[in-house]
Amino acid sequence: MAPDPQKTPVDPGSATIATKNFGDIVVRDDQVITFSPGLLGFSEFHRYVLIEHGQESPFLWLQSLEKSDLAFVVMDPLYVLPDYQVGPINGIQKELEVKSLQDLKVLVILTIPPGRPQDMTANLMGPLLINLANRRGKQLVLESSPYSHKHRVLPAKG
Amino acid sequence: MLILTRKIGEGIILGDDIRISIMEIRGKQIRIGIEAPPEVVVLREEIYQRIQEENLRAAGVRDVDLTEIAKIWKQKKD
Repeated sequence: MAPDPQKTPVDPGSATIATKNFGDIVVRDDQVITFSPGLLGFSEFHRYVLIEHGQESPFLWLQSLEKSDLAFVVMDPLYVLPDYQVGPINGIQKELEVKSLQDLKVLVILTIPPGRPQDMTANLMGPLLINLANRRGKQLVLESSPYSHKHRVLPAKG
Repeated sequence: MLILTRKIGEGIILGDDIRISIMEIRGKQIRIGIEAPPEVVVLREEIYQRIQEENLRAAGVRDVDLTEIAKIWKQKKD
């Protein structure tokens, strides 16, 4: 079957990806973030793209390029805890080939209970580290840290 | 399941580049040394499960109205 011209990317360095939340999106090669290994529980999926939620919003979507309905809501942990630190990162710096610390982006995954967005929590124990220069990422697990995997983001109602 | 008996100082090799060795036995506790390439995830089982389950829960969010949450977020800040 001939490809739909409207959906065929013009740039050879890009690809059209189907997503559940955003429909078909065009992703350039230089936007693809590779997690190796994949996120825990999703080890078979490696390629993701970050999509900003909006100018006024601190949230981002981490959308899988391999599974259209796999997407995480993520945010900068400093919005949640201003003094958040992932601890010693020499190993991960080497692994992700981080040359400048400015290239290292830290994000945490949010869990939003259906129908109770107010009760959303941030997984501060399993942050995502991304080298923005080569777009390689990894989920760290901070085993001996004071952080919770279910850190409340918004105050409880009432 | 493969079950092996090892003494202190002895090891087990998994594949070409993972080595597990018995460091110390103290009562009911055993200290285990693990040498593995950095890309291999090595975690205590209960921690692994905790993060894995949280990832699964986070990914289970469907058609979430993030705009609503962003609004709540903004109110909180103001």
